[in-house]
Amino acid sequence: MKSNTFSFLKELYDGRNILSQLVSQQLILRYRRTTLGYLWSLISPLMMMSVMAVVFATLFQKDLKTFAVFLFAGMIPWNFFSSVLTQSGISFINNEGLIKKIYLPKAIFPLSIACALLIDSALAFLALFAIILVLGGSLSWAILFIPVAYVMLFFFSLGLGLIMSITTVFFRDLQYVIAIVMQALFFLTPILYKPSALTGKVAWLIDLNPVVPFIELFRAPLFLGTLPSSNSMMLAALYSVFSMAVGLFVFLRNEKKIVFRL
Amino acid sequence: MSSIQIENLSVKFRLYHDNSPSLKDYFASIFKSLRKQSQGSYSDFWAVNDASFEVKAGDRLGIIGHNGAGKSTLLKALCRIYEPSSGQVSVEGRIAPLLEIGAGFHPEFTGRENIYLNGAILGYSKQEIRGIEFEVIAFAELEEFIDTPVKYYSTGMYMRLAFSLATAMHPDILILDEIFAGGDASFMKKAKARMHDLIDKSNIMIMVSHDSELIRSLCNRIIWMDHGKVVADGPVNEIMDRYLAERENG
Repeated sequence: MKSNTFSFLKELYDGRNILSQLVSQQLILRYRRTTLGYLWSLISPLMMMSVMAVVFATLFQKDLKTFAVFLFAGMIPWNFFSSVLTQSGISFINNEGLIKKIYLPKAIFPLSIACALLIDSALAFLALFAIILVLGGSLSWAILFIPVAYVMLFFFSLGLGLIMSITTVFFRDLQYVIAIVMQALFFLTPILYKPSALTGKVAWLIDLNPVVPFIELFRAPLFLGTLPSSNSMMLAALYSVFSMAVGLFVFLRNEKKIVFRL
Repeated sequence: MSSIQIENLSVKFRLYHDNSPSLKDYFASIFKSLRKQSQGSYSDFWAVNDASFEVKAGDRLGIIGHNGAGKSTLLKALCRIYEPSSGQVSVEGRIAPLLEIGAGFHPEFTGRENIYLNGAILGYSKQEIRGIEFEVIAFAELEEFIDTPVKYYSTGMYMRLAFSLATAMHPDILILDEIFAGGDASFMKKAKARMHDLIDKSNIMIMVSHDSELIRSLCNRIIWMDHGKVVADGPVNEIMDRYLAERENG
């Protein structure tokens, strides 16, 4: 297993040129021949979040500005997480032609998706951060924690993305199942509401939901201007290590089988 | 010095009689197998079955056989696209799979962007690609159209670019599935010369072809495959004559 992991990493390193090509392909290609180009990557999530902020602030009878900051801070990690899982699922299916014709380290495909989405997310974060400042969000040193939060979120999502990429090849239904699961998980994750707001019979769902601490990692520095609780940090670190470990395990055991199943 | 060693190589395909199993079928089959050994809805097919041979530096190996004899699967196993179901493949030297050129081309990308994308996929480093970029464009005669998306290319232009890029570097081990060259007569002539040059400079060449004259002229050894097995392995003319004689007699 150890030498397996080592040669896996070496292959990835040798394939870094392909990785950067695939990432730039993802980033640039989508907006070919559009006037606003890459700006769409920023505009569409911003618009979506603004609409949600207006609707739910009215619905919950909250102050729009405060709620917008609260919502934005939760949506950034959620959008990244959910896009990585959804897009990793079809990463091999979309590259079937390539995989069947030339040998490439397979992990490149889900990894390139996670990397491209990370760049998208970081830029959306900068744009949102500017908006948060305008809306009067609190600016504190805690903001310096955000890169650490991204690292944990990245590995947490990538680990699950690796699992999704493999399993979707074997069970094609998963690409549709995951969309529904993500929708459900969105409402079960305290993004629109505070973790303490979900009480009663379903409160235990919040405790079990592994995404919760990652929302907190972003929300505490951006909304409250404080470092996240050590409890959240520890849970997030634990989940991301666990996710990567299981992800790599599943991936390394199955990556050579997928070419026969595409 | 390059070399390839193949020991008891087998590649198994699982043929599914219906579509790939859905989640429901998977769980259903778990329960079924708990009750009794379930009959899977697939059958195994050995595309390459217990093949062993060795290729040394200087070998120009032609692989022949009927359609479905496992020739292309064998090549793909050599290029690591298919993992052996059993047995081993060990390759020493930089291997260039020219199986299906242009496989990694992206229609929305310009010719130049595709040189970088496909070059990376073929395993060239960024500096190497920068070094060959102009030569590739010049050889493909695409100077005017290199910054146009390849989806607007004619088939000939597409083939020319793919061919020029795939043959721009000199690999130790050259793997060919039929000799390919598109374009008009003058490009074909140029491409053939380049192909021969590439073969001359390679350490090992392995090709699959149905063109017996081409194999006779390019190879010095033949492996004859049938139903996934190596039937014969030896000097070109001897094996080719036997193969053609058998085909005549049906």
